[in-house]
Amino acid sequence: MNLNEYKFTREKEWLYLESNDIAKIGLTHYACLGDITLVDLPEPGTTVDQFGKMGEVQLGKTLTDIYSPVSGEVLEINHSAIKDISLVNKDPYGDGWLVRIELKDITELENLMNKTECEEFIGEKIE
Amino acid sequence: MQACDAYLLGQIGYKEAYNIQTRFMENRIAGYIKDTLLLLEHPHTITIGKSGNSKNILVSNERLKELGISLFLADRGGDVTYHGPGQLVGYPIIDLKNRGKDIRKYVHDIEEVIINTLRVFSIESSRSIYHPGVWVNNCQIAAIGLRIKKCVTMHGFSLNVNTNLDVCSLINPCGCSNVKVISCSKILSRDIPIDEVINVLLIQFSDIFDFEIKTNNKLT
Repeated sequence: MNLNEYKFTREKEWLYLESNDIAKIGLTHYACLGDITLVDLPEPGTTVDQFGKMGEVQLGKTLTDIYSPVSGEVLEINHSAIKDISLVNKDPYGDGWLVRIELKDITELENLMNKTECEEFIGEKIE
Repeated sequence: MQACDAYLLGQIGYKEAYNIQTRFMENRIAGYIKDTLLLLEHPHTITIGKSGNSKNILVSNERLKELGISLFLADRGGDVTYHGPGQLVGYPIIDLKNRGKDIRKYVHDIEEVIINTLRVFSIESSRSIYHPGVWVNNCQIAAIGLRIKKCVTMHGFSLNVNTNLDVCSLINPCGCSNVKVISCSKILSRDIPIDEVINVLLIQFSDIFDFEIKTNNKLT
């Protein structure tokens, strides 16, 4: 994976554009500061809004919301990560991805940060 | 040192406290208020967290009603938790953006506040590598369950001060049948005025979180 091709929200999510209008979404490594014990994701077919709540993740006994980086329709959820939640901790930018989404409006990507901007925002390197 | 408002709410129903928490959380997200700590007691209540299983409540809903125990689904992490008179509940509404968004450190700090508070009352306690919370000799004395929205916390901790432990036997705390709970009064063989615990806890909270705390007895 080339993290320079990833986009980031100001919360804790990343997006990787696989084609013109299909993207993978996951949680950043700094969202995973704690053992993930539960992930609740929207069913395929669900429509989500940019920066709207799309699910929940539980770290230890802390429940937090997952926000969608873009508007669109959920095409697929990563059943491997649901089955083995430790994948999200071990490989947040790779096999620990959460959902695949069809984008409604590609111009919304302009509202996301690139890797350099995100590193400045969080004050640490993304590797 | 940052400013923090603490509200001492006395005994208050779970739903009412939840509505207050939600209002404070939304106001904190919007930047209208400072970090806040709500301290209170609940009447007999059992809550089920996001990863909770109702099988961990060991009696029927009818029996809970007979005993005057309310049951709520809670939008926090964790499993089944008991709240009741004599238990000090703390709901910190804190913006973690100012604290590196570090959830693990936040939980650690909450535990540290409780451990230091208990030490003042000559109770030595510790963390568990298996469950967030505070423990005395493998018995849980304080539970932690949290929710974070837009980096702002809600829900929090419950510390068994003079809690009736018989009621706790109606659930599997943390969803584990082998978890036992304990209280300060059980350890010390005497009740402690909950106001004394609040005073000590506020000092420890101020110290650990580097807060200058203003205490209020009424909501504004």
